[in-house]
Amino acid sequence: MTPAPNSAHPPRAAAVWELWRDAAQEWLRSSLPSWIFIAKTLAAALLSLWIAMRLELPQPRTAMTTVFIVMQPYSGAVIAKSFYRIAGTVIGSLVSLLIVGLFAHQPTILLAATILWIGICTAGATRNRNFRSYAFVLAGYTAALVAVPTIMDPDSIFQAAVTRVNEVSLGVIVSTVISALVFPQFAGDAIPRAVRSRFTGFVEFIAACLAGRIDRAGLDATNVRFVGDVISLEATRSVAVFEHPETRLRSPILIRMNHDFMAVSTRLHALHQLFNRLRDGPEAGSNLVREYFEPYLREIAPLLSPETAPVLKAADARASAERLVSFRASLPQRLRATREQLAAAGLAANQSTGLLLDFDTAAELLLRFVDELYAYTDSYAALAKPSASQTQAARPFVPKTGLLNSAVSGLRAVVALSTVGLFWFATAWPSGELMMIFAGTAVALAATTANPLRVATGLLYGTVLALPAGAICVFLLYPLIDGFPLLCVALTPFLVGGLALTAYPRWAGVGTGFLIFFCFAAGPDNVIHYDPIDFFNNMLGLILATGLAAAAFVLILPPTSGWWLAHIVRDLRRQVVMVCNSERAGLSERFEGGTRDLVQQACMLTTERVNAPQVALSWMFLVLEIGHAVLELRDETASMGIVSPIGANIGERGGWQQTLRATRLDIEQLFRKPTEEQRMNALRTTSHAIAVMQATIERASTGTTAFNEAHIASMHRIASYLHFIRSALLDCDSPLPGGPSFCKTAPTGVPNVA
Amino acid sequence: MSRDFTFFGIYVPSLLIILFASIPLMWLVDKLILWTGAYRLVWHPQLFRVSFFVCIFGALGLLVYT
Repeated sequence: MTPAPNSAHPPRAAAVWELWRDAAQEWLRSSLPSWIFIAKTLAAALLSLWIAMRLELPQPRTAMTTVFIVMQPYSGAVIAKSFYRIAGTVIGSLVSLLIVGLFAHQPTILLAATILWIGICTAGATRNRNFRSYAFVLAGYTAALVAVPTIMDPDSIFQAAVTRVNEVSLGVIVSTVISALVFPQFAGDAIPRAVRSRFTGFVEFIAACLAGRIDRAGLDATNVRFVGDVISLEATRSVAVFEHPETRLRSPILIRMNHDFMAVSTRLHALHQLFNRLRDGPEAGSNLVREYFEPYLREIAPLLSPETAPVLKAADARASAERLVSFRASLPQRLRATREQLAAAGLAANQSTGLLLDFDTAAELLLRFVDELYAYTDSYAALAKPSASQTQAARPFVPKTGLLNSAVSGLRAVVALSTVGLFWFATAWPSGELMMIFAGTAVALAATTANPLRVATGLLYGTVLALPAGAICVFLLYPLIDGFPLLCVALTPFLVGGLALTAYPRWAGVGTGFLIFFCFAAGPDNVIHYDPIDFFNNMLGLILATGLAAAAFVLILPPTSGWWLAHIVRDLRRQVVMVCNSERAGLSERFEGGTRDLVQQACMLTTERVNAPQVALSWMFLVLEIGHAVLELRDETASMGIVSPIGANIGERGGWQQTLRATRLDIEQLFRKPTEEQRMNALRTTSHAIAVMQATIERASTGTTAFNEAHIASMHRIASYLHFIRSALLDCDSPLPGGPSFCKTAPTGVPNVA
Repeated sequence: MSRDFTFFGIYVPSLLIILFASIPLMWLVDKLILWTGAYRLVWHPQLFRVSFFVCIFGALGLLVYT
């Protein structure tokens, strides 16, 4: 540390002092939290070890291991994880009782049943990507932990199960209490910050996007970030409800806010996309539409967060919401005026075809966008002062991994464990039992993480490190010490080392592996056994087990292969099929959340294939645009059909409804099985439907049919959604088959059926 | 109250039953305090809740160990 060269003006000592102070502040801000966390974890581990030894539980190390597995920086996360850990342990123990009770006399069948159970649990753990997955992991490997050692001695099963539950509960209770009481860190405190930065980021994005100041790469990056934000906010929220009763009150608002955010960002993208198409579009009138429409877009961002009064906290958002309301109130009239001007200008420039349709589509999207933006801002404002109606239960979006992925993960566990089991039975190696248990643990633990391969190899490295550390502890240190305080002194350096590793995301797997297996190798019992041969046999078993788990992730359908990306893309397309043909209730939440969940899964695949997020994103946008338009179409037709059935002229009404149904079917078909031919088909049907709609509107407005004002407005909206679908199908950058050559050959105009 | 009792042929300490009984009780008290908004006046709500739970559990425990 060298003082600044011109330190003549301020006294030298003061400058050095300031430097030190800055450094200390920097350290306090960045590193102190993780050191507090390490100290808390260490304290919890040693405390639970002490209690377990005082109560003379048979395996005090289990309590200590539990602490390392359960401890998380946020106290809500600890409570959540603890809850599911206890639940999983109890279920696993009960199942092991059942399995041993059924097959006590046939070790082979007993082992096979245990392996099958672990496979099922691993599949369940992969399917659920929140803390619930942890209950599945535990239910799986607790069964192995309890049942496998008793294969040779089935009578001890009940005692083994009770002991295990006791020790795990002890570790869980100690870590929960310590993490909630000693320097607690709350996820609930992180939420306002996350929500604010997302709001500000979104306002900037709106400004940049609507002004056309953002390129394709920037757009992709921002959208990947938004997808991540949606999912991580949901995760933080699900943890924070455990922390503080006040947070629980706000939880439904956060859920709704997440939905609102998804809706509004989809709409923004649709609007942006429409303008891109207008810019690149072949129709010469497009520029005219843009010219007339753009002033509206420029007004929005300043409404949300004006430079004179930026939105810094939830309470500030109330003013933004009110500004949006007044903007929205005047909007339809202004748009109508602009539409007339545009029509006149179009006539003057002799380019009236399609001009008004483009404008109507843009206007409809803008109205919807402002509505959704208002909903989002309103939810944000409600965070400051929730009203009774806003705290009612809302359905959170639950991330779920695809069924196939989960099944593969379960199968992987079964194959890996069967290999171990065969090896054990064939060689009758005394440590085979341990190998069995820990292979199960490693496979299940790794399967629930975003990058199982890295975690599995991390566990392997951790085990390799734990071998010498454990040996030093057991054979060199333990003979020298006496009493619990000295035991703490001996254990601390190793445990702190492991904990420090877990603080770095890159090394987290290694750290966790080290801690778990170090506790197993060196965790003291009340009476310590010195048996070097047994020790090295066991450690060899552990290393083989984790190595085998890592090998299973490399060899059996590794998550990094391109096959998975194709699978996820297929699931993404299925979302549109779902929108076309499933029940309407709750569909938009399922659709929005599910689509983003899939993209998130695709983004996790990115270790080897760099372009996976791009591929997934381009599909996501297409799916969201078309899916939303289909949803709106369904809503509009439903509202027209149910509110007042139109008596006169059945044939005519059936006519346009039939074309709409045909469009929906064609789109469904296209997303079920995308081919160039089907794309052309869908395009033709959509164009035809637009033409039919326009003809119907024309006839309706001349008064020859029994449609009223509301119906005509609905039909205008239907036409604009159809137009939007058509422009999405025509898009040159779309991931649908055909590519740029399709856009050149495809007919762009609307056929004349009137 | 006796210190153990039999549950499907297994000896269960009464304290365990008391523990399970005090959980719903705590939940009720928690709701009540939240409803009155008293948590905003407490310095360390988590510590308060844990201590309150210990009070309830301890008071009920006195039924067995007096």
